Amino acid sequence: MILLELVKHEWQKGIRSSGFYKNVAVSIFLGVFSLYMGGLLFFMGFSLNKILEEVPGGTPMELFNGAMLYLLLTGLLLRFMMQQLGTVNLNSYQVLPVNRSLLINFLLLKPLVSLANYVLLLVVIPFAIRSMAAYYTGGVALRFVVAFELMVWCNSLLASFLKRRFGSGLLSFILVLVAFGAIFLLEYLHVFSLFAISRALFGFIVMNPIGLLIPLGAVVVAFLLNKWFFAQNFYPEKFNSKLQNSRTATADLSFLDRFGVIGELISVQIKLMLRHKRTRTLLFLSAFFLLYGLMFYTNEHYGDGMIFFCSMFMTGILMFIYGQWSISWDSAHFDSILTKNIPARTYILSNYYLMLAFNVICFILTTPYFLFGTKIIYMHLTAFLFNTGCNIIFLLFFATFNNKRVDLSRSSAMNYQGTTYKSFLIVLPIMFFPILWVNVLSWLTSLSVAMWSLAAMGLVGLIFRKPLLNLCVKQFNSRKYIIAQGFREVE
Amino acid sequence: MIQVSNLKKAYNGVTVLNIPALNIPKGESFGLVGNNGAGKTTFFRLILDLIEANDGEVQIDGQKVARNESWKPFTGSFLDEGFLIDFLTPGEYFKFVGKLYNKSEGDIALFLESMEEFFNGEINGSKKMIREFSKGNQKKIGIAAALLGDPQILILDEPFTALDPSSQIRLKRLLNDLQTRLGITMLISSHDLNHVTEVCKRIVVLEKGDVVKDIATGEDTLKELESYFAV
Repeated sequence: MILLELVKHEWQKGIRSSGFYKNVAVSIFLGVFSLYMGGLLFFMGFSLNKILEEVPGGTPMELFNGAMLYLLLTGLLLRFMMQQLGTVNLNSYQVLPVNRSLLINFLLLKPLVSLANYVLLLVVIPFAIRSMAAYYTGGVALRFVVAFELMVWCNSLLASFLKRRFGSGLLSFILVLVAFGAIFLLEYLHVFSLFAISRALFGFIVMNPIGLLIPLGAVVVAFLLNKWFFAQNFYPEKFNSKLQNSRTATADLSFLDRFGVIGELISVQIKLMLRHKRTRTLLFLSAFFLLYGLMFYTNEHYGDGMIFFCSMFMTGILMFIYGQWSISWDSAHFDSILTKNIPARTYILSNYYLMLAFNVICFILTTPYFLFGTKIIYMHLTAFLFNTGCNIIFLLFFATFNNKRVDLSRSSAMNYQGTTYKSFLIVLPIMFFPILWVNVLSWLTSLSVAMWSLAAMGLVGLIFRKPLLNLCVKQFNSRKYIIAQGFREVE
Repeated sequence: MIQVSNLKKAYNGVTVLNIPALNIPKGESFGLVGNNGAGKTTFFRLILDLIEANDGEVQIDGQKVARNESWKPFTGSFLDEGFLIDFLTPGEYFKFVGKLYNKSEGDIALFLESMEEFFNGEINGSKKMIREFSKGNQKKIGIAAALLGDPQILILDEPFTALDPSSQIRLKRLLNDLQTRLGITMLISSHDLNHVTEVCKRIVVLEKGDVVKDIATGEDTLKELESYFAV
């Protein structure tokens, strides 16, 4: 049967990609991480009943039902941001005598198999057993679980449709965000309660035997919406052009002309970041990370080490994100970098100055946090010095160990393509050394000693940046053949 | 201009290139032919210091190329798409490359004007990114960028493939003109025996990494090559 063939091809595509075997370390790391997260979720499912019992306003089930529409909306929002659109290589099948509607059904239903759609069952099933099977009947609990899963499917299908129909540009994201905020505000002002609607709706679904028809209907509607979209856009080129519309972002970077070849290289790097979806998403995410301080600085429970970690993270977020792959970003055109008239030193310097500029930008953007007190001011200044003096050099030096091609044409957040265990090895010391340093020194002496010593390290790094950069250039030169070889291997 | 001595490259113990001695004088047009896997691209990559030789060395102007940058200012090359920066528009890319070779905006504009015929009006002024161009046009962009820095040495890997017939003829004219007018040293690999014998004064045949023929192009060269490759 053709459908089985298609499934087989997908499977082969997965295990024959060269990354599948090479990335054992990353897979293990991610595997352990997901087991840990899974355990946490399961535990949460068990204790959710207890937690909700403490909350006034209804039984745990009523509360959960009331929150359900919010959960689904949040899920939709997250999916809209993160979910990758399923693709089959339509062109290569279209010429074969394969039924078109079969291909489309396959394309639409494939994401439903994804594990991500079932993770939340880890929470929902224990919760249903504890707060429904125990109070009502097993049938109610079962209906609750099934209804939840059906709504997850509906979400997945709906997100694909919205993404295909409206594209996933920044504008549509902001629109969705605004709508979401408006609903939340209305709820808060008691003008309109989505909570009450949700509670009534899901109460009905769970309590009545025929209630499941509602979520089932929602899934069917979402599915038909997708079908309708494909019927409207019969040829793949039509909706492809919509997705990869080539807006050439022509930000005016002519001010960089003054800085000669280094300026040219930096302007190319900036264009690289603006013109690939993967890097754009990263930039976008880093804007979110700038809000980290609101979480850490307002909470009294965190130790100084953690607070400083947060300062360092925020004042260096762009540097961390960019620097981790500072050479790998150029994978696709690395041969060009090596053969055109670009001395290795100039290349390294352009990366250095770009990260320096990033640090200055982040430092300025985080100055509002100065309102949290003098301690934060000292911490931000220290973090800036340490990031600029030490971490840039560190990143530049160790970036040469990444010799895996980073494929920018593939998109989206949560993209681990091009990640190896080395990426973790590079970032871990940078992240955890300062926490350790601050905690140990402030325990032995005082916080100010810890701050001054880190700032001094940063200053030393700045003063000796010439010889340190020369070291990076030397390292780059000795690794460049291995890097270039790795970058030529397209996955 | 280019001296190769005792050059060896092996992958996993299998020798893919072994050239005891080869000398390419200034102004020569050097054609490299050979079946797939003969070592043509490997040879070019060694000349451009993109891979490390297991033994021996390549010298340009008496200086070895490995871990050296003195040859870069006067060497133009285009081997594959890895030599392009595909998220730039052609205009941005030419400006970038031009700056690397100390060209003013005026120089670059003048150069692009002279390439207008080769580009067939499809490249200059386009707002598309390079990755959205056809393979043939990408090749043209790459070749033009290689020429932009007024190179003394030009290295092109299979420049004729993916070009349409008119463009192939234009490219041949362009290369012949560069050779007679400016005396550029050219290294060109090709699968098309017709084109390479028309453009190059000297043809070297590689087979499994060894130089098996080294002939000055004459009347019978094409026949000789055809009978060599006949199966």
